[in-house]
Amino acid sequence: MSAALPAIRVRHLWHRFGTMDVLRDVSFEVGQGEIFGFIGPNGAGKTTTIRIMATLLEPLSGKVEIDGIDVALAPERVRRLIGYMPDHAGVYERITIREFLEFFAAAYAVPDRAVVGAVIELTELGKLQHRLVAELSKGMKQRLQIARILLHDPKVLVLDEPASDLDPRARIEVRDLLLELKDLGKTIFLSSHILTELSDICTSVGILERGSLVVSGPISEIAERLAARNAPPGADGKREPPTPQSPFLPGNEAGPVHNAERAQTAGGALVPGAARKRLRLRVIGDARSIAPLIEGGGGVLGVEAGLAGQLTVHYVGDERFVAEVVRHLVSRGVGIVGVEPERNELERIFLEVTRGDLQ
Amino acid sequence: MNDAGPVSVPEPSSRPGSARAGSLFERLREDPNPVWMRELKQAARLQRTPIILAVVTGMMTLLICSVGGVASTTSEPAKVGVGIFHTFFSLAYAVVTWLGPAVAANTIAGERSGRTWEALQLTGLSPRSIARGKFLAAFTYISLYIVMLVPVGALPFLFGGVTASEVLIAFALLFVLAALSVAFGLSVSAKFASPAAAIIVTLLVALPVSLLVYGGAGVGLSYAAHDQWPGVPGGPPVWLPTAYVRADFGLPYFAFLLFLPVVATLVPAWLFYEVTVANMGAESDDRSTRLRVWFACALPALTVSALLVTWVTHAVDWVYAAGSLLWAFGCFGAFLFAGEPLAPSQRVLTRWREQRVSAFRRSFGPGILPASALLAVLVWLGLACSAGLGAINAKTGAERDAVLAFHGYGMAFFGFVVGFTAWARARANNSHTPRVLLTAALFAACVGPWIAMAVAGLITNHHDRAMLMASPSPTFAATMAQSISSSAADASLVATTGSACAAAWALIGLGLFAAAGLKVRARVALDAAARAKLQRAFDEEEAAQRAAPEPALGEV
Ligand SMILES: Nc1ncnc2c1ncn2[C@@H]1O[C@H](COP(=O)(O)OP(=O)(O)O)[C@@H](O)[C@H]1O
Ligand SMILES: [Mg+2]
Repeated sequence: MSAALPAIRVRHLWHRFGTMDVLRDVSFEVGQGEIFGFIGPNGAGKTTTIRIMATLLEPLSGKVEIDGIDVALAPERVRRLIGYMPDHAGVYERITIREFLEFFAAAYAVPDRAVVGAVIELTELGKLQHRLVAELSKGMKQRLQIARILLHDPKVLVLDEPASDLDPRARIEVRDLLLELKDLGKTIFLSSHILTELSDICTSVGILERGSLVVSGPISEIAERLAARNAPPGADGKREPPTPQSPFLPGNEAGPVHNAERAQTAGGALVPGAARKRLRLRVIGDARSIAPLIEGGGGVLGVEAGLAGQLTVHYVGDERFVAEVVRHLVSRGVGIVGVEPERNELERIFLEVTRGDLQ
Repeated sequence: MNDAGPVSVPEPSSRPGSARAGSLFERLREDPNPVWMRELKQAARLQRTPIILAVVTGMMTLLICSVGGVASTTSEPAKVGVGIFHTFFSLAYAVVTWLGPAVAANTIAGERSGRTWEALQLTGLSPRSIARGKFLAAFTYISLYIVMLVPVGALPFLFGGVTASEVLIAFALLFVLAALSVAFGLSVSAKFASPAAAIIVTLLVALPVSLLVYGGAGVGLSYAAHDQWPGVPGGPPVWLPTAYVRADFGLPYFAFLLFLPVVATLVPAWLFYEVTVANMGAESDDRSTRLRVWFACALPALTVSALLVTWVTHAVDWVYAAGSLLWAFGCFGAFLFAGEPLAPSQRVLTRWREQRVSAFRRSFGPGILPASALLAVLVWLGLACSAGLGAINAKTGAERDAVLAFHGYGMAFFGFVVGFTAWARARANNSHTPRVLLTAALFAACVGPWIAMAVAGLITNHHDRAMLMASPSPTFAATMAQSISSSAADASLVATTGSACAAAWALIGLGLFAAAGLKVRARVALDAAARAKLQRAFDEEEAAQRAAPEPALGEV
């Protein structure tokens, strides 16, 4: 198997329910071994995309390949490759956890039933294995679902809203479990309508809004491209003009004009200064007398002094800038109580490319 | 689970779960159906089950005892025994035919609404083994009821008047009915997302059908059985077990008590199974082949049954019943196949290529044209056989002509049915419209001419001539046959008009079929062109990407 083959490849996916375009020309790739976060508000079309990937729904048009296999042509082969956990998945209640997993192992025709024990151990369900499924908490049920989709050792895990309606503790446990699975070599595709829910474990993201993919790729790469785009004109001459009509929509009915609005918003003109960041500091003493110590430094765009030792530094640069500011102030004898780099990178990307109808 | 890293995924064909259909040996070696096993475990933990069972048994015992008690004060014990026998098995019949479909209707729809269905589907368990597991689970459940009722059902035997073998056979028949009822409920369940809707629809069909069967096949046929074998009393509904025990073995026994019941059970049971599986599949799956195979077996089986009955009874009247039955079954087939896709999907074509499926087997695959061609050929053959046997059995030339005219009209009109079905499907974008159109067309063709006749009769006040107005209706075939066989005065006029109408129907059918063929070909070509264009766009994009290896990253 060539290393270049992406685990998931979605190309020009369109789907319609009735007359409503639910997916419009969605294309993205997920590399092997990545954790891909598929983020978008409720109703954006995440579940629809995922159901197509999981062979449960046939798209209007477009291609989806899992590990190079077309889901439309060979759904049975794709089903062996993926472990799909639906949102709000149900469980069989009046059997024990072990029986539940043994049933699915039998259904998957797993040759070695010792797998059930291994999966129970991996998901730390050992102590509960003889309890009835009905008695489990929500977080435990979610863990049972993850155990279920591991039984046939799939290469790709597809999880629809795995952390929604979990309490914070269960959410952290799910997150740790997913990291463990990534270490086992699984590619993980997860969706969420809450940006911060699992974003810290994602290596790449796709942001979906009203059926259109706004941006996708490794987080660092997107950040770089955004920075390049926000640089003075001329530095980035490669921006593609928005396609007025996709050649990938079959039929002669006029499809919706592809991404016309989006291109405008994402074009950068409406969100100036995307590369500009903010750093919040809390210092001992009068903030106004400390502000001049920072002003004029390399990368500093401006300093605001607030009440009770609050300082807000606007700057361009990366984390080294933050460290430099702190080192500089400390060397001048300023007592620093708190340092708060304003948002994480994903959140920033997010604010920049979406219109803000996200939770 | 191999923690060392991803294990290579076994090819689907190497799994025992996908053992080749038909290989009974493989299937027997396969573990017990996992769906069935799991449902049994779940049912065993349901505290409700024993309580319901106890209540039903208790009520049945009370009822039977009180019937027995009331009857025994007035009649002799043997009569009481027979009375209890019929009461008990009538009630058990109701329990099985109402509860069975309802229990089964809950199963697949219940998994859909409980959001476990997707997980089950993705396990790679074939729809066939899911259907079998669900069937076994529901059947086991209903069987529990029957088994619980055995002691109560044995009571009439104690009173006398009924033999042990009759009771045993009656219980065996209950199991057969339970299997049919469950299979029916399952086929509905596979279509619905909500168990409530599935149960309502199932019961809406099951209640009237079970009453009709009780009245028709129970009470009604008991008189026919009495005529054939005087030892079987006419009237009481549970006559079949008695007939099995008391009738003398011979050709009628074989025909009516063995062959016909087996066909009458297997044909619907197999249909329910195939419909269940088809309802579970996706649009692109091959949902045609198995149903077509069913039809290709069911129609000959029905033809043979009809011929057997005609042959055994030597009565020409049966030929008309047989011909009508085959014709109606053909219309049901048309209704079924009206939902066929225009042509096989890419998924099916890919599989055919990979598995090197023969042209013969492909002709049973998705496609409205091969489906309607097969339908026409089978029904015509069946009707021709029926006509032939009728003609041989006919005692007079007029009788023979009547049989031939009746079947000839039927065959000609069926040509129209097939042509219309193909044409309606070729023009529609979904599978519902052609079915609605077909029903409307059949209804209009059958009833319309008679209305025209009634109106004409009122206007002209000349009934004999007005009757000819009804000649375009397929039911006119019966009028025609009657007129010919009784050598009525206007027989030749009726025959001429009838033949003209039949020829017209056949021609219209042929024309519609030809139009359907052209339309299907055009639509398939259009679809292929669109797909080719799409594929080119994909290929070009891929080539461009390879030239400039910047990953496709959405819209920034
Ligand atoms: N089966 C369906 N029939 C009709 N509309 C649907 C169906 N499923 C989803 N939709 C609609 O498609 C849109 C996208 O839904 P979905 O993919 O579930 O979004 P998400 O998972 O991002 O919340 C929504 O507007 C939803 O109402
Ligand atoms: Mg969703």
